[in-house]
Amino acid sequence: MNAPNPHVLDPTKKPGSIVGFGTMTTFIIAALFVIALIMIEFSPLKMIQVPGQVAEVLSFFWPVDMAYGWDNVLPAIIESIQIAWIGTIIAAILSLPLALLGARTLFPRIARIVKFISATARAFPEILLAIYFVPIVGLGPFAGALAIGISSVGMLTKLGAEVVESIDFGTVEAVEATGGSRIMALRYAVVPQVLPEIIAHWLFRFELNIRASAVLGVVGAGGVGGVLLNTLRYRHFEKAAAVLILTIIVVLLIDMISGEIRRKIIKG
Amino acid sequence: MNAAGNTTLPTKPPRNWWLWAIVLGFLTAMTVWSGYGIGFSANELVCNIAGGSRLLEESWPPDFSFLPRLIDPFMETVYIAIVGTVVGGILSIPVAVLAARNLSPDKVTWFLDRNFMNILRTLPDLFWAMLFATAVGFGPVAGALALSVFTVAVISKLWSESLESIDMGLPEAVRSAGGSWLQMIQFSAIPQAMQHYVSYALYAFELNIRASLVLGLVGAGGIGMILETQRANFEYERVTLIILAVLVAVLIIEQISETIRRRLT
Repeated sequence: MNAPNPHVLDPTKKPGSIVGFGTMTTFIIAALFVIALIMIEFSPLKMIQVPGQVAEVLSFFWPVDMAYGWDNVLPAIIESIQIAWIGTIIAAILSLPLALLGARTLFPRIARIVKFISATARAFPEILLAIYFVPIVGLGPFAGALAIGISSVGMLTKLGAEVVESIDFGTVEAVEATGGSRIMALRYAVVPQVLPEIIAHWLFRFELNIRASAVLGVVGAGGVGGVLLNTLRYRHFEKAAAVLILTIIVVLLIDMISGEIRRKIIKG
Repeated sequence: MNAAGNTTLPTKPPRNWWLWAIVLGFLTAMTVWSGYGIGFSANELVCNIAGGSRLLEESWPPDFSFLPRLIDPFMETVYIAIVGTVVGGILSIPVAVLAARNLSPDKVTWFLDRNFMNILRTLPDLFWAMLFATAVGFGPVAGALALSVFTVAVISKLWSESLESIDMGLPEAVRSAGGSWLQMIQFSAIPQAMQHYVSYALYAFELNIRASLVLGLVGAGGIGMILETQRANFEYERVTLIILAVLVAVLIIEQISETIRRRLT
């Protein structure tokens, strides 16, 4: 990545207006911010109270009820991981052909349609999809996995298509010049080149999906989110603390492992 | 292929079959285990399709008469996103600077801040929303606070990486001219990465708009609260309307943000 150019001082440049574009933007943002603060009734008085209230709730978090953590929270976290895994697998299988079809350089006409579909799929947050899947396949983790899978397809298709578009086209031409068909060109020239990066994107999506699946429990689609919602609703703060601690540890661990694998794959 | 009779083809690089077997085995095992764990069954899917199609029939056509009642909650969603982005955007500056390896004053600060940032990042937005809704009460303020934390997590991670890739000549020049650490950050480091900051802040705003749509599901204000009540009452025509309206609004806001980003960078 090249560093952005440092500011060049040009003595011949005429001074601009006193209120520059940056200052204007800052003022507009500040004005919007103040309006928004007033509209959601976030008064200065409330702002002073917030740290105290947060500290008060945090003080209830101790002692952490780890027994509840091992018995009830860990299975829920594992369920979240399973949801994320199945969702990622669904998305990976669906998105690989779509990514190839969505590459402008390979299939100029189909690519436009594929890109439009993937943009629409990306616009839905997982949790809204889950709201539809829960009544269709019933309460539980399966609905969550489907929601995660569908919403990941859009993003993986887009990223995958970008990877395919950025490859060296020489090998594709080489395969076709020796009489290979389009399919053979995909198999021997395109896929080997793009696969490492695409797999890295899958892993990254898996990391994101773990966070997404953790919240799906809120609408009854399985996983740890429902546990947290219930413990907080009934004010079992020691149990909620166990949820938070275990979630943080597990997610950190998975991020570390997945990040390490991604680095290895990209290096080759 | 006869023409190539005399020439020998270069040997294929040897494949590491063991590694392949282990990776494939692991992937299959993981998938089967997860599939069982979540009760993945094609059977159930087919059986439930009937119920599903009834649901789809019920949720169409969307109930457009409900639209006017969406305006206020939607504006609340936008306000929450604005407050969250601005507060989080300001707070993320020191977090990002201290987490950049080349700018952080010492190893201990860097290590602590880096881990603080990573821990913030592990919890999803709705978890923060639940926590703040419990602490400060249900309503948009909880949502704005949750999004502030979420924004800090997003921007500081991305921006600290941009700060690590800046040209270190300028900061060194400021230092050797007798500037303090703060002056170095203010006059040489931040200006170099300012464009990145602006584009990450806009990106965070887009994420926040999306996130604030669903914050209401846990009682943290915005349009999600209406969504939750309509969903609980099985008013699926209204749910469809809300989701469609949200979709259109998100796409419009993303277009605006994209335009601004292109103008600024």
